[in-house]
Amino acid sequence: MFGYIRPAAPRLSGAENERFRSAYCGLCHTLGRRYGFFARFLLNFDFTFLAILLSLGESGTRACRRCAAHPCKGCGAMAASPALDAAADRSVVLAWWQLRDHIADHGFLAGLKYRLAALFVRRAYRKARAMVPEFDAAVQRHLRELGAREAEHCASLDAAAEPFAALLAEIATVEPDATKRRVLGQLFYHLGRWIYLIDAADDFKQDAKSGNYNPLRYRYGVDGNELSEDVKRALGETLDASIRQMAGAYALLDAGEWSPVLDSIFYDSLYGIGKAVLEGSYRKGARFRRYRDTSEEPI
Amino acid sequence: MSDPYKVLNISPTASDDEVKHAYRELARKYHPDNYHDNPLADLAQEKMKEINEAYEQIQRQRKGGYAASSQRSGGYNGSYGNSYSSSTSGDPLLQRVRLAINSGDITQAERLLNEASDRGAEWSFLMGIVCSRRGWMDDARQYLETACRMEPNNEEYRQALQMFTSSGGYRPAGFRGFGTMTYGNDACMRLCAAWSCCMLSGGRCFFC
Repeated sequence: MFGYIRPAAPRLSGAENERFRSAYCGLCHTLGRRYGFFARFLLNFDFTFLAILLSLGESGTRACRRCAAHPCKGCGAMAASPALDAAADRSVVLAWWQLRDHIADHGFLAGLKYRLAALFVRRAYRKARAMVPEFDAAVQRHLRELGAREAEHCASLDAAAEPFAALLAEIATVEPDATKRRVLGQLFYHLGRWIYLIDAADDFKQDAKSGNYNPLRYRYGVDGNELSEDVKRALGETLDASIRQMAGAYALLDAGEWSPVLDSIFYDSLYGIGKAVLEGSYRKGARFRRYRDTSEEPI
Repeated sequence: MSDPYKVLNISPTASDDEVKHAYRELARKYHPDNYHDNPLADLAQEKMKEINEAYEQIQRQRKGGYAASSQRSGGYNGSYGNSYSSSTSGDPLLQRVRLAINSGDITQAERLLNEASDRGAEWSFLMGIVCSRRGWMDDARQYLETACRMEPNNEEYRQALQMFTSSGGYRPAGFRGFGTMTYGNDACMRLCAAWSCCMLSGGRCFFC
Protein backbone atom coordinates (compact mmCIF):
# COMPACT_ATOMS: atom_id res chain seq x y z
CA MET A 1 0.00 0.00 0.00
CA PHE A 2 2.95 2.27 0.49
CA GLY A 3 5.45 3.54 -2.02
CA TYR A 4 3.46 5.83 -4.32
CA ILE A 5 4.68 9.28 -3.40
CA ARG A 6 7.71 10.96 -4.87
CA PRO A 7 8.58 14.52 -5.84
CA ALA A 8 8.26 15.69 -9.44
CA ALA A 9 11.98 15.34 -10.11
CA PRO A 10 12.11 17.44 -13.33
CA ARG A 11 10.67 20.35 -11.39
CA LEU A 12 13.57 20.29 -8.97
CA SER A 13 17.15 21.40 -9.25
CA GLY A 14 19.97 18.98 -8.55
CA ALA A 15 20.40 20.43 -5.07
CA GLU A 16 16.73 19.89 -4.28
CA ASN A 17 16.80 16.30 -5.50
CA GLU A 18 19.87 15.86 -3.34
CA ARG A 19 17.92 17.22 -0.40
CA PHE A 20 15.16 14.67 -0.92
CA ARG A 21 17.78 11.98 -1.17
CA SER A 22 19.29 13.14 2.11
CA ALA A 23 15.98 12.43 3.86
CA TYR A 24 15.79 9.02 2.18
CA CYS A 25 19.33 8.19 3.27
CA GLY A 26 18.79 9.69 6.73
CA LEU A 27 15.74 7.51 7.33
CA CYS A 28 17.58 4.46 6.01
CA HIS A 29 20.47 5.02 8.41
CA THR A 30 18.06 5.62 11.27
CA LEU A 31 16.25 2.36 10.49
CA GLY A 32 19.57 0.56 10.44
CA ARG A 33 20.77 2.09 13.68
CA ARG A 34 17.56 1.48 15.61
CA TYR A 35 16.35 -1.77 14.10
CA GLY A 36 19.26 -3.54 12.49
CA PHE A 37 20.29 -4.20 8.92
CA PHE A 38 17.12 -5.91 7.66
CA ALA A 39 14.88 -3.03 8.71
CA ARG A 40 16.61 -0.91 6.06
CA PHE A 41 14.77 -2.90 3.43
CA LEU A 42 11.46 -1.55 4.71
CA LEU A 43 12.38 1.92 3.50
CA ASN A 44 10.24 3.50 0.80
CA PHE A 45 9.36 6.94 -0.56
CA ASP A 46 6.15 7.32 1.43
CA PHE A 47 7.95 6.82 4.73
CA THR A 48 10.57 9.32 3.56
CA PHE A 49 7.80 11.78 2.84
CA LEU A 50 6.39 11.26 6.35
CA ALA A 51 9.86 11.77 7.82
CA ILE A 52 10.22 15.07 5.96
CA LEU A 53 6.84 16.34 7.17
CA LEU A 54 7.64 15.36 10.74
CA SER A 55 11.03 17.06 10.66
CA LEU A 56 9.81 20.46 9.39
CA GLY A 57 11.19 23.20 11.56
CA GLU A 58 14.18 21.19 12.73
CA SER A 59 17.56 22.49 11.73
CA GLY A 60 18.50 19.91 9.15
CA THR A 61 22.18 19.18 9.25
CA ARG A 62 23.57 16.73 6.78
CA ALA A 63 26.51 14.45 7.08
CA CYS A 64 28.32 12.34 4.51
CA ARG A 65 27.52 8.71 5.26
CA ARG A 66 28.53 5.52 3.57
CA CYS A 67 26.37 2.43 3.30
CA ALA A 68 26.17 -0.87 1.42
CA ALA A 69 24.43 0.83 -1.51
CA HIS A 70 26.94 3.70 -1.65
CA PRO A 71 30.14 2.18 -0.29
CA CYS A 72 32.70 4.42 -1.97
CA LYS A 73 31.19 7.78 -2.66
CA GLY A 74 28.91 7.99 0.36
CA CYS A 75 26.11 10.49 0.27
CA GLY A 76 24.69 13.38 2.25
CA ALA A 77 22.24 11.96 4.75
CA MET A 78 20.09 13.90 7.18
CA ALA A 79 21.65 13.70 10.64
CA ALA A 80 19.85 11.72 13.32
CA SER A 81 16.96 13.60 14.89
CA PRO A 82 13.90 12.89 17.07
CA ALA A 83 11.67 13.32 14.02
CA LEU A 84 13.61 10.73 12.02
CA ASP A 85 13.51 8.36 14.99
CA ALA A 86 9.74 8.84 15.28
CA ALA A 87 9.31 8.28 11.54
CA ALA A 88 11.48 5.15 11.66
CA ASP A 89 9.54 3.63 14.60
CA ARG A 90 6.24 4.18 12.83
CA SER A 91 7.57 2.98 9.48
CA VAL A 92 8.55 -0.37 11.01
CA VAL A 93 5.11 -0.81 12.59
CA LEU A 94 3.31 0.14 9.35
CA ALA A 95 5.55 -2.06 7.22
CA TRP A 96 5.00 -5.01 9.54
CA TRP A 97 1.22 -4.76 9.37
CA GLN A 98 1.42 -4.34 5.64
CA LEU A 99 3.35 -7.60 5.48
CA ARG A 100 0.78 -9.33 7.69
CA ASP A 101 -1.91 -8.07 5.36
CA HIS A 102 -0.09 -9.50 2.34
CA ILE A 103 0.20 -12.84 4.08
CA ALA A 104 -3.52 -12.85 4.88
CA ASP A 105 -4.42 -11.87 1.30
CA HIS A 106 -2.32 -14.47 -0.47
CA GLY A 107 -2.47 -18.24 -0.50
CA PHE A 108 0.30 -20.36 0.92
CA LEU A 109 2.62 -20.40 -2.09
CA ALA A 110 2.01 -16.84 -3.26
CA GLY A 111 2.39 -15.62 0.30
CA LEU A 112 5.64 -17.44 0.87
CA LYS A 113 7.87 -14.48 0.05
CA TYR A 114 5.94 -12.33 2.51
CA ARG A 115 6.26 -14.99 5.22
CA LEU A 116 9.97 -15.08 4.60
CA ALA A 117 10.21 -11.29 4.79
CA ALA A 118 8.15 -11.32 8.00
CA LEU A 119 10.71 -13.66 9.56
CA PHE A 120 13.41 -11.08 9.00
CA VAL A 121 11.31 -8.14 10.14
CA ARG A 122 9.78 -9.73 13.24
CA ARG A 123 12.53 -8.69 15.61
CA ALA A 124 12.46 -5.12 14.38
CA TYR A 125 8.70 -5.04 14.75
CA ARG A 126 8.82 -6.32 18.33
CA LYS A 127 11.31 -3.62 19.20
CA ALA A 128 9.21 -0.93 17.51
CA ARG A 129 6.08 -2.16 19.26
CA ALA A 130 7.86 -1.72 22.59
CA MET A 131 8.89 1.82 21.57
CA VAL A 132 5.48 3.00 20.37
CA PRO A 133 2.86 0.71 21.93
CA GLU A 134 -0.03 3.19 21.52
CA PHE A 135 0.68 3.64 17.85
CA ASP A 136 0.83 -0.12 17.31
CA ALA A 137 -2.48 -0.55 19.15
CA ALA A 138 -4.07 2.23 17.08
CA VAL A 139 -2.86 0.68 13.84
CA GLN A 140 -4.33 -2.67 14.81
CA ARG A 141 -7.62 -1.07 15.77
CA HIS A 142 -7.89 0.80 12.47
CA LEU A 143 -6.92 -2.26 10.47
CA ARG A 144 -9.64 -4.28 12.19
CA GLU A 145 -12.12 -1.59 11.14
CA LEU A 146 -10.74 -1.72 7.63
CA GLY A 147 -11.35 -5.46 7.59
CA ALA A 148 -14.90 -4.94 8.81
CA ARG A 149 -15.66 -2.43 6.02
CA GLU A 150 -14.26 -4.85 3.49
CA ALA A 151 -16.35 -7.70 4.86
CA GLU A 152 -19.56 -5.69 4.61
CA HIS A 153 -18.71 -4.70 1.00
CA CYS A 154 -18.87 -1.02 1.85
CA ALA A 155 -20.15 1.02 -1.11
CA SER A 156 -18.98 4.41 0.14
CA LEU A 157 -15.46 5.36 -0.90
CA ASP A 158 -15.13 7.61 2.13
CA ALA A 159 -16.36 5.08 4.66
CA ALA A 160 -14.03 2.46 3.15
CA ALA A 161 -11.07 4.84 3.18
CA GLU A 162 -11.76 6.19 6.68
CA PRO A 163 -9.87 3.56 8.73
CA PHE A 164 -6.72 3.86 6.66
CA ALA A 165 -6.94 7.66 6.61
CA ALA A 166 -7.46 7.73 10.39
CA LEU A 167 -4.50 5.38 10.77
CA LEU A 168 -2.18 7.77 8.96
CA ALA A 169 -3.64 10.74 10.86
CA GLU A 170 -2.52 8.93 14.00
CA ILE A 171 1.10 9.70 13.04
CA ALA A 172 0.46 13.41 13.65
CA THR A 173 0.25 12.73 17.40
CA VAL A 174 4.08 12.74 17.39
CA GLU A 175 4.06 16.51 16.93
CA PRO A 176 4.36 18.39 20.25
CA ASP A 177 2.89 21.70 19.01
CA ALA A 178 -0.92 21.61 19.20
CA THR A 179 -1.62 23.75 16.12
CA LYS A 180 0.88 21.94 13.98
CA ARG A 181 -0.51 18.64 15.21
CA ARG A 182 -3.95 19.65 13.99
CA VAL A 183 -2.63 20.68 10.60
CA LEU A 184 -0.57 17.50 10.19
CA GLY A 185 -3.55 15.42 11.32
CA GLN A 186 -5.67 16.87 8.52
CA LEU A 187 -2.83 16.49 6.01
CA PHE A 188 -2.15 12.86 6.93
CA TYR A 189 -5.86 12.03 6.92
CA HIS A 190 -6.17 13.07 3.30
CA LEU A 191 -2.85 11.51 2.45
CA GLY A 192 -4.26 8.24 3.79
CA ARG A 193 -7.50 8.70 1.88
CA TRP A 194 -5.59 9.44 -1.32
CA ILE A 195 -3.24 6.45 -0.90
CA TYR A 196 -6.18 4.13 -0.17
CA LEU A 197 -8.09 5.23 -3.26
CA ILE A 198 -5.03 5.19 -5.52
CA ASP A 199 -4.27 1.71 -4.29
CA ALA A 200 -7.85 0.61 -4.97
CA ALA A 201 -7.54 1.88 -8.56
CA ASP A 202 -4.13 0.27 -8.96
CA ASP A 203 -5.40 -3.10 -7.76
CA PHE A 204 -8.73 -3.01 -9.53
CA LYS A 205 -7.92 -5.56 -12.22
CA GLN A 206 -6.24 -7.92 -9.83
CA ASP A 207 -9.12 -7.72 -7.34
CA ALA A 208 -11.63 -8.31 -10.15
CA LYS A 209 -9.81 -11.51 -11.05
CA SER A 210 -9.31 -12.77 -7.52
CA GLY A 211 -12.72 -11.65 -6.25
CA ASN A 212 -11.21 -9.57 -3.45
CA TYR A 213 -13.17 -6.57 -2.18
CA ASN A 214 -12.50 -3.33 -4.03
CA PRO A 215 -14.39 -0.17 -3.01
CA LEU A 216 -14.54 1.14 -6.60
CA ARG A 217 -16.57 -1.88 -7.73
CA TYR A 218 -19.31 -1.21 -5.18
CA ARG A 219 -19.26 2.58 -5.35
CA TYR A 220 -19.50 2.81 -9.13
CA GLY A 221 -21.15 -0.54 -9.79
CA VAL A 222 -18.46 -1.72 -12.19
CA ASP A 223 -19.04 -5.18 -13.59
CA GLY A 224 -15.99 -6.03 -15.64
CA ASN A 225 -12.36 -5.69 -14.73
CA GLU A 226 -11.82 -2.32 -16.43
CA LEU A 227 -12.70 1.12 -15.08
CA SER A 228 -14.65 3.16 -17.64
CA GLU A 229 -13.61 6.70 -18.54
CA ASP A 230 -16.56 8.09 -16.59
CA VAL A 231 -15.54 6.23 -13.46
CA LYS A 232 -11.95 7.40 -13.86
CA ARG A 233 -13.12 10.99 -14.21
CA ALA A 234 -15.28 10.76 -11.08
CA LEU A 235 -12.47 9.11 -9.15
CA GLY A 236 -10.00 11.70 -10.44
CA GLU A 237 -12.22 14.47 -9.11
CA THR A 238 -12.44 13.02 -5.65
CA LEU A 239 -8.67 12.42 -5.63
CA ASP A 240 -8.24 16.08 -6.59
CA ALA A 241 -10.43 17.04 -3.63
CA SER A 242 -8.09 15.20 -1.25
CA ILE A 243 -5.00 16.72 -2.85
CA ARG A 244 -6.54 20.18 -2.40
CA GLN A 245 -7.22 19.42 1.26
CA MET A 246 -3.60 18.32 1.68
CA ALA A 247 -2.35 21.45 -0.08
CA GLY A 248 -4.60 23.62 2.11
CA ALA A 249 -3.08 22.07 5.23
CA TYR A 250 0.43 22.24 3.80
CA ALA A 251 0.01 26.00 3.18
CA LEU A 252 -0.40 26.42 6.94
CA LEU A 253 2.94 24.77 7.71
CA ASP A 254 6.27 26.53 7.57
CA ALA A 255 8.14 24.26 5.17
CA GLY A 256 11.35 26.31 5.17
CA GLU A 257 14.10 24.68 3.12
CA TRP A 258 11.77 21.84 2.18
CA SER A 259 9.42 24.16 0.26
CA PRO A 260 10.63 23.29 -3.26
CA VAL A 261 10.47 19.53 -2.64
CA LEU A 262 7.07 19.64 -0.92
CA ASP A 263 5.65 22.16 -3.41
CA SER A 264 6.51 19.76 -6.20
CA ILE A 265 4.64 16.98 -4.38
CA PHE A 266 1.49 18.81 -3.29
CA TYR A 267 1.09 20.98 -6.38
CA ASP A 268 2.28 18.59 -9.05
CA SER A 269 3.39 15.02 -8.58
CA LEU A 270 0.34 13.77 -6.65
CA TYR A 271 -1.74 14.63 -9.74
CA GLY A 272 0.78 12.99 -12.04
CA ILE A 273 0.96 9.80 -10.00
CA GLY A 274 -2.86 9.64 -9.90
CA LYS A 275 -3.02 10.00 -13.66
CA ALA A 276 -0.38 7.32 -14.21
CA VAL A 277 -2.20 4.90 -11.91
CA LEU A 278 -5.60 5.55 -13.52
CA GLU A 279 -4.13 5.08 -16.97
CA GLY A 280 -2.45 1.88 -15.91
CA SER A 281 1.01 3.15 -16.81
CA TYR A 282 2.20 3.27 -13.22
CA ARG A 283 3.40 -0.25 -12.55
CA LYS A 284 6.07 -0.22 -15.22
CA GLY A 285 7.79 2.66 -13.54
CA ALA A 286 7.30 1.07 -10.18
CA ARG A 287 9.36 -1.96 -11.02
CA PHE A 288 12.55 -0.09 -10.38
CA ARG A 289 11.22 1.17 -7.12
CA ARG A 290 10.63 -2.36 -5.91
CA TYR A 291 14.10 -3.35 -6.85
CA ARG A 292 15.56 -0.23 -5.43
CA ASP A 293 14.05 -0.17 -1.99
CA THR A 294 13.01 -3.83 -2.04
CA SER A 295 9.67 -2.88 -0.56
CA GLU A 296 6.96 -5.33 -1.48
CA GLU A 297 4.42 -4.93 -4.20
CA PRO A 298 1.67 -2.55 -3.03
CA ILE A 299 -1.23 -4.39 -1.42
CA MET B 1 4.24 42.60 16.36
CA SER B 2 6.57 40.48 14.26
CA ASP B 3 8.52 41.91 11.34
CA PRO B 4 5.97 42.60 8.57
CA TYR B 5 8.54 41.88 5.87
CA LYS B 6 9.15 38.47 7.35
CA VAL B 7 5.43 37.77 7.36
CA LEU B 8 5.25 38.59 3.64
CA ASN B 9 8.49 36.70 3.09
CA ILE B 10 10.29 39.57 1.35
CA SER B 11 13.30 41.73 2.06
CA PRO B 12 12.85 45.20 3.61
CA THR B 13 14.41 46.66 0.46
CA ALA B 14 11.68 45.21 -1.79
CA SER B 15 10.01 47.68 -4.12
CA ASP B 16 6.37 48.70 -3.65
CA ASP B 17 5.39 46.45 -6.54
CA GLU B 18 7.17 43.50 -5.00
CA VAL B 19 5.41 44.11 -1.70
CA LYS B 20 2.07 44.23 -3.45
CA HIS B 21 2.85 41.10 -5.44
CA ALA B 22 3.92 39.17 -2.33
CA TYR B 23 0.81 40.30 -0.50
CA ARG B 24 -1.50 39.30 -3.35
CA GLU B 25 0.09 35.86 -3.69
CA LEU B 26 -0.27 35.15 0.04
CA ALA B 27 -3.81 36.50 0.09
CA ARG B 28 -4.65 34.12 -2.74
CA LYS B 29 -3.06 31.28 -0.81
CA TYR B 30 -5.15 31.78 2.34
CA HIS B 31 -8.30 32.96 0.60
CA PRO B 32 -11.55 31.82 2.27
CA ASP B 33 -12.59 29.99 -0.92
CA ASN B 34 -9.70 27.58 -0.38
CA TYR B 35 -10.87 26.76 3.13
CA HIS B 36 -14.59 26.50 2.64
CA ASP B 37 -16.06 23.91 5.01
CA ASN B 38 -12.52 23.07 6.02
CA PRO B 39 -11.67 22.18 9.64
CA LEU B 40 -8.55 24.36 9.38
CA ALA B 41 -10.45 27.50 8.27
CA ASP B 42 -9.74 29.28 11.56
CA LEU B 43 -5.98 28.88 11.07
CA ALA B 44 -6.19 30.21 7.53
CA GLN B 45 -8.16 33.18 8.85
CA GLU B 46 -5.44 33.89 11.39
CA LYS B 47 -2.81 33.77 8.65
CA MET B 48 -4.86 36.13 6.51
CA LYS B 49 -5.16 38.53 9.41
CA GLU B 50 -1.39 38.47 9.93
CA ILE B 51 -0.79 39.13 6.25
CA ASN B 52 -3.30 41.99 6.13
CA GLU B 53 -1.74 43.58 9.20
CA ALA B 54 1.78 43.20 7.85
CA TYR B 55 0.77 44.75 4.54
CA GLU B 56 -0.98 47.65 6.25
CA GLN B 57 2.03 48.24 8.46
CA ILE B 58 4.38 48.37 5.50
CA GLN B 59 2.01 50.72 3.68
CA ARG B 60 1.88 52.95 6.73
CA GLN B 61 5.65 52.99 7.10
CA ARG B 62 6.19 53.75 3.43
CA LYS B 63 3.46 56.31 2.97
CA GLY B 64 3.96 58.04 6.28
CA GLY B 65 0.78 57.08 8.03
CA TYR B 66 -1.83 57.66 5.30
CA ALA B 67 -3.41 55.32 2.85
CA ALA B 68 -3.53 52.29 5.08
CA SER B 69 -7.28 52.29 5.46
CA SER B 70 -7.95 52.92 1.79
CA GLN B 71 -5.64 50.06 0.87
CA ARG B 72 -7.38 47.87 3.33
CA SER B 73 -10.73 48.34 1.69
CA GLY B 74 -9.30 46.77 -1.42
CA GLY B 75 -7.90 43.89 0.58
CA TYR B 76 -9.28 40.43 1.11
CA ASN B 77 -11.75 40.33 3.91
CA GLY B 78 -13.88 37.40 2.92
CA SER B 79 -15.69 35.31 5.45
CA TYR B 80 -14.28 32.09 6.82
CA GLY B 81 -17.43 31.65 8.86
CA ASN B 82 -18.98 28.83 6.83
CA SER B 83 -22.11 29.35 8.84
CA TYR B 84 -25.54 28.22 7.76
CA SER B 85 -28.44 30.38 8.79
CA SER B 86 -30.81 28.41 10.98
CA SER B 87 -33.76 30.64 10.17
CA THR B 88 -34.06 29.12 6.69
CA SER B 89 -34.96 25.79 8.19
CA GLY B 90 -38.58 24.90 8.96
CA ASP B 91 -37.83 21.65 10.72
CA PRO B 92 -36.74 22.13 14.38
CA LEU B 93 -34.42 19.11 14.23
CA LEU B 94 -32.64 20.45 11.15
CA GLN B 95 -32.42 23.85 12.82
CA ARG B 96 -30.50 22.19 15.62
CA VAL B 97 -28.28 20.51 13.02
CA ARG B 98 -27.46 23.93 11.56
CA LEU B 99 -26.63 25.30 14.98
CA ALA B 100 -24.37 22.32 15.69
CA ILE B 101 -22.57 22.81 12.35
CA ASN B 102 -22.10 26.51 13.05
CA SER B 103 -20.64 25.82 16.46
CA GLY B 104 -18.26 23.30 14.88
CA ASP B 105 -19.77 20.27 16.62
CA ILE B 106 -19.83 17.95 13.62
CA THR B 107 -20.33 14.78 15.66
CA GLN B 108 -23.48 16.20 17.21
CA ALA B 109 -24.74 17.38 13.80
CA GLU B 110 -24.24 13.93 12.36
CA ARG B 111 -25.99 12.26 15.28
CA LEU B 112 -29.01 14.52 14.85
CA LEU B 113 -29.09 13.89 11.11
CA ASN B 114 -29.07 10.15 11.66
CA GLU B 115 -32.06 10.53 13.97
CA ALA B 116 -34.13 12.34 11.35
CA SER B 117 -36.85 10.31 9.69
CA ASP B 118 -37.70 12.82 6.98
CA ARG B 119 -34.75 12.82 4.61
CA GLY B 120 -35.58 15.49 2.09
CA ALA B 121 -33.47 17.97 0.17
CA GLU B 122 -32.43 19.96 3.22
CA TRP B 123 -31.39 16.80 5.05
CA SER B 124 -29.19 15.83 2.09
CA PHE B 125 -27.74 19.32 1.93
CA LEU B 126 -26.80 19.34 5.61
CA MET B 127 -25.42 15.81 5.36
CA GLY B 128 -23.27 17.06 2.47
CA ILE B 129 -21.90 19.87 4.64
CA VAL B 130 -21.17 17.46 7.50
CA CYS B 131 -19.37 15.06 5.14
CA SER B 132 -17.39 17.89 3.64
CA ARG B 133 -16.18 19.01 7.10
CA ARG B 134 -15.22 15.42 7.82
CA GLY B 135 -13.17 15.14 4.67
CA TRP B 136 -15.59 12.63 3.15
CA MET B 137 -15.37 14.36 -0.19
CA ASP B 138 -17.09 11.81 -2.39
CA ASP B 139 -20.08 11.37 -0.07
CA ALA B 140 -20.29 15.15 0.37
CA ARG B 141 -20.58 15.65 -3.35
CA GLN B 142 -23.25 12.99 -3.72
CA TYR B 143 -25.37 14.46 -0.93
CA LEU B 144 -25.08 17.98 -2.32
CA GLU B 145 -26.00 16.74 -5.80
CA THR B 146 -29.00 14.91 -4.36
CA ALA B 147 -30.16 18.08 -2.59
CA CYS B 148 -29.86 20.06 -5.82
CA ARG B 149 -31.70 17.40 -7.78
CA MET B 150 -34.57 17.39 -5.29
CA GLU B 151 -34.84 21.18 -5.17
CA PRO B 152 -33.16 22.58 -8.27
CA ASN B 153 -34.26 26.15 -7.49
CA ASN B 154 -32.81 26.36 -4.00
CA GLU B 155 -30.09 28.98 -4.09
CA GLU B 156 -28.36 27.80 -0.89
CA TYR B 157 -27.93 24.23 -2.13
CA ARG B 158 -26.85 25.35 -5.58
CA GLN B 159 -24.22 27.65 -4.13
CA ALA B 160 -22.85 24.95 -1.84
CA LEU B 161 -22.48 22.50 -4.73
CA GLN B 162 -20.97 25.19 -6.91
CA MET B 163 -18.49 26.03 -4.15
CA PHE B 164 -17.65 22.38 -3.70
CA THR B 165 -17.00 21.59 -7.35
CA SER B 166 -15.42 24.81 -8.57
CA SER B 167 -12.89 25.52 -5.87
CA GLY B 168 -9.51 24.74 -7.37
CA GLY B 169 -7.54 25.45 -4.22
CA TYR B 170 -4.34 27.45 -4.19
CA ARG B 171 -1.41 26.55 -6.38
CA PRO B 172 1.57 28.77 -7.16
CA ALA B 173 2.24 30.02 -10.68
CA GLY B 174 3.52 27.27 -12.92
CA PHE B 175 1.51 24.60 -11.11
CA ARG B 176 -1.97 25.60 -12.28
CA GLY B 177 -4.57 24.35 -14.66
CA PHE B 178 -4.42 20.60 -14.30
CA GLY B 179 -6.02 17.90 -12.19
CA THR B 180 -5.48 14.18 -11.90
CA MET B 181 -7.31 13.38 -15.13
CA THR B 182 -5.98 16.34 -17.08
CA TYR B 183 -2.38 16.01 -15.94
CA GLY B 184 0.00 16.31 -18.84
CA ASN B 185 -2.75 16.97 -21.39
CA ASP B 186 -1.56 20.30 -22.68
CA ALA B 187 0.96 22.81 -21.44
CA CYS B 188 2.62 20.48 -19.01
CA MET B 189 2.86 17.62 -21.51
CA ARG B 190 6.56 18.13 -21.78
CA LEU B 191 7.07 17.91 -18.06
CA CYS B 192 4.92 14.84 -17.78
CA ALA B 193 6.90 13.14 -20.50
CA ALA B 194 10.13 14.01 -18.77
CA TRP B 195 8.69 12.77 -15.53
CA SER B 196 7.51 9.38 -16.73
CA CYS B 197 10.67 9.01 -18.74
CA CYS B 198 12.61 9.56 -15.57
CA MET B 199 10.51 6.98 -13.77
CA LEU B 200 10.98 4.42 -16.53
CA SER B 201 14.68 4.93 -16.67
CA GLY B 202 14.80 3.91 -13.08
CA GLY B 203 14.34 7.12 -11.14
CA ARG B 204 17.93 7.97 -11.85
CA CYS B 205 17.34 11.58 -11.05
CA PHE B 206 17.36 10.72 -7.38
CA PHE B 207 19.98 8.07 -7.18
CA CYS B 208 22.52 8.48 -9.87
